[in-house]
Amino acid sequence: MNDLQQAMLRADPRLSRFTPLGRILYHDDFAGGMRGWTQLVGNYAGSLDTMHEGYRQITAPMLSNLTGWDCGTHGALGGTYALKIATLPRRGAQSVAIKRITWQRPCPLRLEFYFTYKPEARDLQLSVRDLRSFGLLFDLQNDERRVMPHLRYLSTREGEAVQRWQYKARTVPFRRIDDQTVTHYHLEDRDWTALPGAAQELCYNEIPSKVNWHYARVDFDLATMRYTHFQCNDVSYPMDDIASLEIPAMPNLRGMLNVAFFVETDTDKRAFLFLDAVLLSGEWD
Amino acid sequence: MSALRESFTAVLALGETWEGRAETEPYECAWASEGIFFLRALEVEGDPGGASAAVEISPDGVHWVAEGTTVALPHTVDCTTFAKIAHFGGFVRLVAELPPGVACQLVVSLALKG
Repeated sequence: MNDLQQAMLRADPRLSRFTPLGRILYHDDFAGGMRGWTQLVGNYAGSLDTMHEGYRQITAPMLSNLTGWDCGTHGALGGTYALKIATLPRRGAQSVAIKRITWQRPCPLRLEFYFTYKPEARDLQLSVRDLRSFGLLFDLQNDERRVMPHLRYLSTREGEAVQRWQYKARTVPFRRIDDQTVTHYHLEDRDWTALPGAAQELCYNEIPSKVNWHYARVDFDLATMRYTHFQCNDVSYPMDDIASLEIPAMPNLRGMLNVAFFVETDTDKRAFLFLDAVLLSGEWD
Repeated sequence: MSALRESFTAVLALGETWEGRAETEPYECAWASEGIFFLRALEVEGDPGGASAAVEISPDGVHWVAEGTTVALPHTVDCTTFAKIAHFGGFVRLVAELPPGVACQLVVSLALKG
């Protein structure tokens, strides 16, 4: 990135809180719509009944102005609206939103996003241990491999604070739906490993309806299919030895560059992940 | 040239089987000024008769009240019914009470514009 480009980015209030690489693939602040973020629907063939049960729990993402019964409208970071991903009110329920593009060249990628997370504010309680986890994944494919880097923040397990970022590198069994279609639910609450380092406490605030926005950045190189950086706010993690979920290349997916965010509840209460904004950039001339 | 309006269709039930008490998850759509709920039946058991689903609105996504609009449950496979809504605040959902012996596998969507 040259000095002029950097100066222009720093002078733009919507972009100066990011540190993008030279090419911005998308910058979604949700002030003007869903920007291509959509519900993750599981594979099926012939009947919706063939869909893996893990995907049946996923709900439609929405634009939220973060309104609570006590404070009214909280609003988002850069405007009124944020992307909201909501689980069902069932312990262990997960939900996902996804955006699908393809890569133009095997280059370094940088995903930056501002997020906040909360359980549904239905009780007059702190509720800090009601949300289990939230996270993100890439779904990538080149000529040889489908690579799915997964990262999550495990806030709570069985009501106990964990507060660790984790990754997943183990594949899950595929289920064949018919002669052309298979499915695998890779978000199950299993096979997660903590990143090196200490627990990271995030700002939850003091009642369920107060939110604070956080920053995170993931760098991943499409040429090597390896992480090169991960940070959440002021804490960076060593990523050199962190593996991704990998499987042999599959039909019809070459060039895939999907990004998905997910959230999971630890109680019979809805859990929410909010995003405002998401920026994906790459580096090439 | 004026800006195009925003639009988004949210699928609120994808092949869910409704019987007895049923409801969609809360959906936030304060940005929209109008919407249409569509119900399409994938399977129908029993006779829904005059059964319908009711639109509810909420100030906070937790406390709900009937909005007054209802939409008939589809009677036959691939039958689609709908109801138009407007001036609904920030949160909407559908609730239904199906008669005993009646079950409907449904696709419920909400087409929003604003």
